[in-house]
Amino acid sequence: MEIAPTPQPVPLVYDIPFWESVKNKDMQLQRCADCAEWRYPAGPICSQCNSENAVWERVSGEAEILSWVVFHKTYLPAYPAPHKVIAVRLSEGPIMISNLEGKEPEGSWIGERVSLCYSEMPDGMILPRFALSE
Amino acid sequence: MVRKRSAAAIIGIGQTDWVTDWKRVRAGEKPADSVGYAAQAFQQALKDSGIPKGDIDGLIVGPTTAYERMGEVLGLNVRWGGQADAVQSVLQAHMAIEAGYAKVIALVYGNDQRSAGTQYGGPAAMGGGSFLSYVYHSPWGMTSQGALYALTARRYQEERGMTEADMGEVAVAQRAWASMNEAAIQRKTITVDDYIESRYVCEPLHVFDYCLVNDGGVALIIADAEYAKKMSPNPVSILGTGRSDLNTGATSLEPRLTDYYLPAQQQAGKDSYEIAGVGPEDMDGFLVYDSFSVHVPLALEGYGYTEVGTVKQFLTEQGIGPGGKLPVNTHGGHLSESYMQGWNHQLEAVRQVRQQAGARQIENAKTIHYTSDVAGKCMSIIYGR
Ligand SMILES: [Zn+2]
Repeated sequence: MEIAPTPQPVPLVYDIPFWESVKNKDMQLQRCADCAEWRYPAGPICSQCNSENAVWERVSGEAEILSWVVFHKTYLPAYPAPHKVIAVRLSEGPIMISNLEGKEPEGSWIGERVSLCYSEMPDGMILPRFALSE
Repeated sequence: MVRKRSAAAIIGIGQTDWVTDWKRVRAGEKPADSVGYAAQAFQQALKDSGIPKGDIDGLIVGPTTAYERMGEVLGLNVRWGGQADAVQSVLQAHMAIEAGYAKVIALVYGNDQRSAGTQYGGPAAMGGGSFLSYVYHSPWGMTSQGALYALTARRYQEERGMTEADMGEVAVAQRAWASMNEAAIQRKTITVDDYIESRYVCEPLHVFDYCLVNDGGVALIIADAEYAKKMSPNPVSILGTGRSDLNTGATSLEPRLTDYYLPAQQQAGKDSYEIAGVGPEDMDGFLVYDSFSVHVPLALEGYGYTEVGTVKQFLTEQGIGPGGKLPVNTHGGHLSESYMQGWNHQLEAVRQVRQQAGARQIENAKTIHYTSDVAGKCMSIIYGR
């Protein structure tokens, strides 16, 4: 049986260290070396203070669900319908799109606390995902 | 505010027959390409304006068509030109006329998006990397324009205390308007129950929350106010415009999920109201770019038609359909008339002000408001006489 490839990230230029860190199950985000603002997606300068100095730092992995949707139509072979997607706010500030692993909340998902985990896709790609916090 | 009032007016409108376009494309035909649809619409608009073609000295072409080819086909060697989406085309024409770069500008739009199978979702989504947030989240299976609006709608509905039935009021109202519009593709009225029972595409959005992708064309002739007064029996003036963008955090969807574009809408609205000297209470009708139904409640709050937090009451108690307090998308909008990427709304504004909207005519309409919030670029145009 053929394995549907995981859709690849676009584009890669500033995001390479992010995806490298994910591959190592050690998710890091870019952070301004001057004003400490977290950046996601990564970029060439700080949108807050214009600094070109940046570092990569591991995130806490704690987050909260902002919204969720269920695809009832299949757009991507790797994700047949019904497929669920969440938007979370990391405790560091940025919003991330991801998927919920494991148990699902009853009723509304909004406001649920979640923690970072890593999933290995059938084609071997590692994805950062989230599971309900204990 | 530096801009003078009513510098430009629309003196001609044209379109292809969207219902026929729909039927032919669904039957597997390819009646025209984008240039062809635009050219047909241009012929109608030129005829409607009654002016000689030689007076046109500006050309703006919709983003889905090659500019050079369009000028070649129409035989227009202009002294000012450009390429832009619907609302930016109107604003740019207004600016060019005011700045003296052109006197009469043809705006033409043609799109073979349906027959060409244009993808607004999936890995080959239109725009791709140039509209990063369309594709940035594809590793997690988050793709398509509708899904972005579904994420917005879910959180917005919950914050505003709206049920799916409340949300359904938008699609129901627009279908009721479309039932009175012969140019609309979907004219069978629906109830809130029909809406709730309809299938989901990306939950919480139902199929009735999505625009009707179709082939077709639209054209407008916009002229300097003096010229318009002299040459046109029924010019429709651009009384005021405004624009405000929210780009910070755009890729991570911050403006969509937490601001709902409200600050930008409020600013764009304020600017246009000041220039035109009117407010939401003076509008006879409100037209909203509605690729998805959720645009409508966002705009009702963002442009001051109802207080922020009260849109549920506005939709269910005051109403936006026929007989409601505020006529909204009286042509049926993208949900029921046709997805002409905001261009069809400009035609509806002109028809309403000209009193040419037939059965759906808003009685004695003088002032019509158009707004769009596409990807956080909030724009406001006030049309009137
Ligand atoms: Zn900084």
